Amino acid sequence: MTRFLASRLLQAVLVLLLMSVLVTVLIALMPGDPVDLMLAGNPKATAADAARLKALYGLDRPLWERYVNWLGAALTGDFGYSRLFAQPVPAVLLPRLGNTLLLLGASFMLAVAIALPLGVLAARKPYSLLDDAVNLFCFAGISVPPFWLALLLILLFAVTLGWLPASGMGPVGEEGWLARLPHFVLPVATLTLASVGGYTRYVRSAMLVELRQDYVRTARAKGLGEGQVVWRHTLRNALIPIVTIVALEFGTLFSGALVTETMFAWPGMGKLIYDSIMGNDLNVALVALLLATATTLAGNLLADVAYAALDPRITFKDVRS
Amino acid sequence: MGAIAAMRSRFLRRFTRHRLATVSAVVLALLALAALAAPLIESAMGVDQTAVSLLDRYGPPSFEHPLGTDELGRDVLVRLLYGGRVSLFVGLAAALASAVIGTAIGLLAGYFGGRVDDALMRLTDVLIALPLLPLLIVLSAIDPTRLGVPEDWVSGEDASLGRIVVLVALFGWTTVARLVRGATLSARRRDYVRAAVALGAGSRRIMLAHILPNVAAPAVVAVTLTVGNVILLESVLSFLGLGIQPPLPSWGNMLTNAQELVSTAPMLAVWPGLLIFVTVIAVNLLGDGLQDALDPRSGGSR
Amino acid sequence: MRHHLAALALAVSLTAAPAFAARDTLTIGISQFPANWHPSIEPMAAKHFILDATLRPFTVYDADWKLTCLLCTALPSVEAGTAVLETRADGRQGYAVTYTIHPDATWGDGTPITTKDVLFTWEVGRHPQSGFTNADLHARDIVGVDAKDDKTFTIHRDKPLCTYAEINDFAVLPAHLEKPVFDSDPAAYRQRSRYETDTTNPGLWFGPYRIAAVESGAHVVLEPNPTWWGAKPPFRRIVVKAIENTAALEANLLSGGLDLIPGEAGLPFEQALAFEKKHGGKYNVVFKPGLVFEHIDLNLDNPVLADPRVRRALLLAVDRASISRQLFENRQPVAHNQVNPLDRVHVEDFRHYPYDPKEAARLLDEAGWGEKGGGIRVNAKGEKLSLEFMTTAGNRARELMQQVLQAQWKQAGIEVRIANEPARVFFGQTLHERRHKAMALFAWISSPENIPRTTFHSTMVPTAANNWAGQNYMGFRNPEMDKVLDDLETVCEPAANKRLWTRLQQIYADELPSLPLFFRADPHILPKWIDGIIPTGHQASTMLWVETWKVKE
Repeated sequence: MTRFLASRLLQAVLVLLLMSVLVTVLIALMPGDPVDLMLAGNPKATAADAARLKALYGLDRPLWERYVNWLGAALTGDFGYSRLFAQPVPAVLLPRLGNTLLLLGASFMLAVAIALPLGVLAARKPYSLLDDAVNLFCFAGISVPPFWLALLLILLFAVTLGWLPASGMGPVGEEGWLARLPHFVLPVATLTLASVGGYTRYVRSAMLVELRQDYVRTARAKGLGEGQVVWRHTLRNALIPIVTIVALEFGTLFSGALVTETMFAWPGMGKLIYDSIMGNDLNVALVALLLATATTLAGNLLADVAYAALDPRITFKDVRS
Repeated sequence: MGAIAAMRSRFLRRFTRHRLATVSAVVLALLALAALAAPLIESAMGVDQTAVSLLDRYGPPSFEHPLGTDELGRDVLVRLLYGGRVSLFVGLAAALASAVIGTAIGLLAGYFGGRVDDALMRLTDVLIALPLLPLLIVLSAIDPTRLGVPEDWVSGEDASLGRIVVLVALFGWTTVARLVRGATLSARRRDYVRAAVALGAGSRRIMLAHILPNVAAPAVVAVTLTVGNVILLESVLSFLGLGIQPPLPSWGNMLTNAQELVSTAPMLAVWPGLLIFVTVIAVNLLGDGLQDALDPRSGGSR
Repeated sequence: MRHHLAALALAVSLTAAPAFAARDTLTIGISQFPANWHPSIEPMAAKHFILDATLRPFTVYDADWKLTCLLCTALPSVEAGTAVLETRADGRQGYAVTYTIHPDATWGDGTPITTKDVLFTWEVGRHPQSGFTNADLHARDIVGVDAKDDKTFTIHRDKPLCTYAEINDFAVLPAHLEKPVFDSDPAAYRQRSRYETDTTNPGLWFGPYRIAAVESGAHVVLEPNPTWWGAKPPFRRIVVKAIENTAALEANLLSGGLDLIPGEAGLPFEQALAFEKKHGGKYNVVFKPGLVFEHIDLNLDNPVLADPRVRRALLLAVDRASISRQLFENRQPVAHNQVNPLDRVHVEDFRHYPYDPKEAARLLDEAGWGEKGGGIRVNAKGEKLSLEFMTTAGNRARELMQQVLQAQWKQAGIEVRIANEPARVFFGQTLHERRHKAMALFAWISSPENIPRTTFHSTMVPTAANNWAGQNYMGFRNPEMDKVLDDLETVCEPAANKRLWTRLQQIYADELPSLPLFFRADPHILPKWIDGIIPTGHQASTMLWVETWKVKE
C-alpha cells in the first residue's frame, strides 16, 4: 500500500511538473504580448514605454529563465503577483476556489442523491418503459449545450416568473445563508442537470451487473423481500464501481463550472482559468491549471484506492484500469 | 460464412430491442442526409446561403424562407443545414481521428505488453490527468505559426475546423486506447491467436487480421459517444469565442450568436440548440444501443 | 424533497420585489469587472466608469465637448495670465499653466487635497518602474511642477500645444497614504498600492461616492462620501454588478436585479437595438454616437491599394447610408471623415463619397481593373481584384458589417476574403507589426480636438527599425499632412488653426488612407425614474456627474 501510494505520488509530482512546463510554453506561444495589448489603444505610447513596461513585468527575459524563476519561487511558497489583478496569486485564487467548490460540492451531492435512487429504479426493470424514460432523462441532461440550459433557466425562473435571482452569489450587503440560498438554486440546478444523467447511468449499469449475480438469485430464493435484496445487499456491492467512477469524474469538475460561472456571474475558478489564459496572466494561469490537474490526479488516485480497498478481490498491483 | 451471418442477425435482433436506439439511428441518418443534401436543397429553394439582404432581416417563416431569416437576411433553414455539415463533420472527423490513434496505441500496448505497454500506458495516464477544457482553451488560442505551421493553413476559412479536429484527436484517444488495450489483452490469449503466432505469422498481420476485428466493438462504441462530446465541445468553444469562426456556419456558433437576441428573435436560438440537443442525444442513445447489442454482458458500463 | 420546497417558498418570499422599491439604491450592471483599482495603471472602461464616481480629474471634456474644470477652480488661459508661453533653458518653448485646487477638496478621511499630492503624483507617474499607462503625460509632457502654496501649482509643459489647459489624464494620488508605499519600493508600487491592498480605505477617494465594499469579480458597493464638497449625491447606495455574458446581463435587467446598464461597458449595439424594440417602452434607451471611429485601415504598401482610385472606388461602392439605416436603425451616423461632427474643429468642406456604384466602376476601369462578364475584375496581367479583410473575431457587430460590405463589394467586382483574429492577436501583433495584407476594420477611440499625429504622421509608421512605435498602420506618408500635423501643435491663432484643421480633413478625404465608416454609438439603458444622465459621447463617463442625477418622484 505504501509503495503504491509512494509511486503514485511520484507520478503526480512528475505530471504536475510536466504540466507547468507545458502551460508556460503554450502561453508563451499565444500571440500578442500583454504589454503591447495594453498600450494598443493609447496613441501616445512609444516603444520606450513598451520596453519599460515589459522590463517591469519581467517579460523581456527568455522563457526558460522566467520559468525557472517561477519554479524556484513557487517551491518556497511564493507564487508571485497576478499581472491582471495586481494582487498576490493566492489572494486571487483562494476565494474563487472556495466559490467554485461551494457550487460544485452542492451540485455534486444533489446529483448523487438523485442518481442513486433513480439508477436503482431503472436497473430493476431494464428495457421497460420506465427504464427508457429514465435513460432519456439522463441523456437529455448530458446532451444539452450548457450555456443554453443556463440561459433557458434564467429566462424562465428569473425573467418570466421572477421567482429567483438571475445572477450573483448573494444579495449585496446581506450576510447569512438564508438570504444567499435563492442565488444558489439556478447555478446548482444547471450543474446538477448536466451531471445527474451521467451518474444515474453509472449506478444503473453497476446495479445491472450486480443484479445478475448468483447471490441475488439466492437471496430471492430465500424469500427475502425485493426491497431488502436491492437496497441492502446489491447496492452495497454496486457502490464499488460507482464510487470509483464518480471519483474519476471529480477531475473534470472545473471544466464544467466554467460556463455556469460565466452565465451566473459566479466568481469562481473556471472563469479565472479562462480569464488568466486569455489575459496572458502566467502566474495565475499556472497555479490555477496546476490546481485543476492536481484535482484530477487526486480523483484518479482516490478512484484507484477505493477500487482496490473496497473490492477484496483486487490488489493494488492489479490496479491499472 | 454462416457464423458471420448468424452474428449479424443476432446483433440486429439485440439492437432493435432498444426502441430508443433504433429511433436514434433513423434520426441520425435523416439528419446526415439532410446535411449532405444542403447544396441541393439550397438550389432547389433558389436561395444563396451567403446572400446578405439587409431588407429581409429577422423575417418570419414564409414560403420562401420556411424557417425565416436571420440577422443578415440569410435563410435560416439552409444555414442550419450547412451548419449541420460542419458540426457533423467536425464530430465525425474528430471522433474517427482519435479512434484511429487510440486503437493503434491500444493494440500496440496490449499486444506487445512489457515495456511498450508500460510506456504507452504512462503516456495515457499523463494525458488523462490533464484538465481537458482549460488545455483546449489554451491550445485554441495559440498561434500555430510560431511553431512553424505554414501560414495559409492557419488563415484559411477552414482553419478553425481543422484546429478542433486536431485538438480532439490529440487528447481524445485515451479512452479508446484503454478499451482497446483491455480487449487486446484478452484476445491475445485466445487459441486462434496463439495458433497464428505458432504458425509464424508476423505481428502486424496478427494484430490487423485477427485481433482488430475482435476489439472493434468497444472502439466503435467509444467513437459514437465521442461524436456527441465533440459537438457539445464545439458549442462551448464557440461560446468562449474560440470555436468555428464566422462566416462559416456551425450549430455551435449559430447558437452563440443568437444568445443576445433571445428576447427578440428566440427561434434563431431555438433551432441550432434543438438540433445540437437532438443529435447528441441520438448519438448517445445509439452508442448505448450498440454497446448492449455488441456485448450484452457489459451491462452498459463505460 | 420537502427541504427543497421549503427553500423555494422562502426564496419566493425573500425575493418578491414590491412594486415601488426604495429608490435610494441604484443597481448598475456592467459587462466586465475591473481587474485592478489604481486610476492610472492599466486602462479599462469599466474601471473608469466606477472610479468616475469616486475620483475627479482636474480637467475634462463635458457633454458639450467643451473643456471644463472639475477639481480645479478655473481653466488656465493666456487671457487670464494663468497660461504663459515660456522659453526654457534648452531653448525649447512650452506653456506654463497654473491651476488652483478647489478650496474644499478633501480626501475621504478628512485630509485636504494639496499640492503635495500633485507633486507626489508627478513623481510616481514619471518613475520608469511605476507602470503608469500614460507615461507620456507624466514623464515627457510635464517637465516641471512648481507649488506656489497648498492649493496653487504651475505645470511646465514640454510643447506649446494649443490645448495647453487639458490635463485630463492626471489623476491626483493621496500622498499621505501612498507615499510610504511608493518610497519603500517603487518597482513594486503597482502591487503594493493601497488602491489594490486596501481598496475600501476612505482616504483614497474624494468624489461624491467612495468604494465601501468590493467582492472581487462580482460587485462593488459605493456609498456617499461625507467629505464631498459638491451637490448631495442622490443615492444612499450604488451597487455595480459585473455580468460578463450579455444575454445574462439583459436578463438581470429584465428580472429587476438591475436598474441601469451604461453604455460605457454594457450591451453590444445589436443587442441593445433588439432590446429597444421589445422593451423600449419600459426603459430610456439612449444611443449616443461618439468619438469611436469605426473605419477600415488600408495597407498602402499593398500594390492594389497604392492607387488612390481603387481606394476611392472601394468607398463609393458601399452604401453606408443604407447600412446605417437598416443595420443600425440610423443610430450610428455615417462618418465622412475621422473628425466627429460634434467636435469643434469639424468642417464640412471636403470631398464626400456617397454611394455611387457607377462612379466606382468608372474609377476601377480607369485604374486598370476590367470587368469580367459580371464576375470579379481582373487587371491586364490577369490577376483578380482580391483583398483580404480582417477584424476582431467574436465582435458580432463588426462581423455582420464585414459580411454586408463583402456582399456589396462583390457586386462591384471586388473579391474580399474575410480573415478574423481574436483581439489580442489583432491588436497585439497583426496591426502593430503591419501584417495585415489589405484591409483592417477596427475603431479608434480619441478625445475632442485630438490631433491624429500618431495615426497619420509619416514618422509614426511602425517598422522593425523604430521598434514598432507609432500607430500609422496604413503606412501613410504625405508630406503636406506631416506639415499640417506639425503646425497644428503650435499654431493656436483661431483662424489659422481652423484653416489647418480644414486642410487636414481635406487631405484625408482626398487621399483616403482609411475608409471612414461610422461613429459608433454606445447604448445606455436607463430607468425611467432617473433624470439627468447625459452620455457624453467620448471617454468621460456619465458617472463624472453622478451627483446631478435626479430621482423622479
